Amino acid sequence: MTPGHALPVAAGIGLRAPHIGYVKAQRPPVAWFEVHSENYFAEGGPAIASLERIRADYPLSLHGVGLSLGSTDPLSRAHLAKLASLIARVEPALVSEHLSWSGVGGRHFNDLLPLPCTDEAVAHVCSRVAEVQDILGRVIALENVSSYVGFADSDIAEWEFVAAVVARTGCKLLLDVNNVYVNAVNHGFDAQTYLAAMPDDAVAEIHLAGFDARGPCLIDTHGARVAPEVWALYRSAIERFGARPTLIEWDVDIPEFSVLETEALAATTILESRDAIAA
Amino acid sequence: MPSLRDLQIRFSDAVLATDGMAPAFARGDAATAAERMAIYRRTIRSNYRNALGATYPVLKRLLGMRLFNAAVDAYVEAEPSRSGDLNVYGDAFDDFLARYAPAAEWPWLPDVARLEWAIDQAAIAADAPPFDLAALAALPEKAHAGLRFVLHPSAQLIESHYPILHIWQVNQTDFKGPAEVDLREGGDSLLIVRGECGVDIERLNPGEAVLLGGFAAGETLALAADLATEAEPAFDLPAALRRHVANHVLAAFVAPESAIEERPR
Repeated sequence: MTPGHALPVAAGIGLRAPHIGYVKAQRPPVAWFEVHSENYFAEGGPAIASLERIRADYPLSLHGVGLSLGSTDPLSRAHLAKLASLIARVEPALVSEHLSWSGVGGRHFNDLLPLPCTDEAVAHVCSRVAEVQDILGRVIALENVSSYVGFADSDIAEWEFVAAVVARTGCKLLLDVNNVYVNAVNHGFDAQTYLAAMPDDAVAEIHLAGFDARGPCLIDTHGARVAPEVWALYRSAIERFGARPTLIEWDVDIPEFSVLETEALAATTILESRDAIAA
Repeated sequence: MPSLRDLQIRFSDAVLATDGMAPAFARGDAATAAERMAIYRRTIRSNYRNALGATYPVLKRLLGMRLFNAAVDAYVEAEPSRSGDLNVYGDAFDDFLARYAPAAEWPWLPDVARLEWAIDQAAIAADAPPFDLAALAALPEKAHAGLRFVLHPSAQLIESHYPILHIWQVNQTDFKGPAEVDLREGGDSLLIVRGECGVDIERLNPGEAVLLGGFAAGETLALAADLATEAEPAFDLPAALRRHVANHVLAAFVAPESAIEERPR
């Protein structure tokens, strides 16, 4: 099995159900894969067996979408137990979750909802991150989410919120460059200001995806190619932080695998140009 | 300033609200805030429609997109998700459909939902080690009557008054042939189990259905076999046992305690 302790500093692809058969059979040259943790919470069956097969050949990142980390409801011990057992089974290089919440009062919306940027929310998220890291016995990475609604009560900027959580908990950062861009447009701030506030050393992974610009604001659909503006922002992020493991995500209207490979190649070109500058 | 919990409750209320009003907690002008809040409402609704559409493809075909989506929306309202794992959502859709007035003219829908949920669950159930035939053979014959067989974790039994397997089959996207199902064909006793090549659906004879139902309920071989013969006088017990051991429906057995005590040390 490939050593589990670090993701390669290269472009990876978000592995979704329609491509699993292809990847298992063809072993395409992809540096690493990421999957949604919850899709492999099953105790048995072909899906988890396939993931174990693929894991034997590729480094893997586990990306959670359902922990509801920022909720004021108690953390789900059952959810964490399933995550812990999946971690033991596939030995991922990285485990990540979202800086968001998904429901309150026992009800789940199964979506990534925004947190107000307040000191109280920072303190709450920090205690939850500490609890999760304690239970899992490992450092996790947190992803900044896209959002459409801001809170009147927010009294610090989103980038200050993110940086404070990372600084206080020692967790890693999964910087979604697409989400930074989407939020910069939706909430009217300078994306460069956001990047400048990110703790360089904590950036363990970068996400790239496509948004939908047809609505009243940018919607983070993960259903299109990475936009030119996001490629440009990614390039400046890599110039700022250095090359980092970078993932292409595509979750709706999933295209042929070759389209994802093309997107990954574009990320590789940017990663390698940074290497050339550094060298 | 409202607490974080209070803000989350208000946000949650705003997601569920249908009045299109701007939530008071939102920053910016009211019209924009209302429009933005609606994005969450639409995204969430569409996520559940897609998730249940993937779990219940035959129901979606039977009802058509519009009716199916309306049924999912009503289900989400009646039985909201309680888990962060969307894959486990939808387990009560069968019972919901049974009391969902717009679907009342198709009384077989809840049983089709049961079948689709069973197929979905069979795919993710735990694995089981191979049946230990040697251990079974080593048991003294007098222990046989008290044996309790254990079904594979993926195995599920469904009884319906309607020909739900036929309904399911003609609604597969690759089905070719006459798509008519005559409800007078009668009911189905089905076994859903994960095999080597995926999830299998099998029609069971009355005796087998009773036998496996007995095992599922923890009955002894003697009692389950008696009930099976009662249901089907010509029931061939040895053949049924061989078949269901061979196809991994029976995963293990528990010997009566007396037999364990008598084992040589």
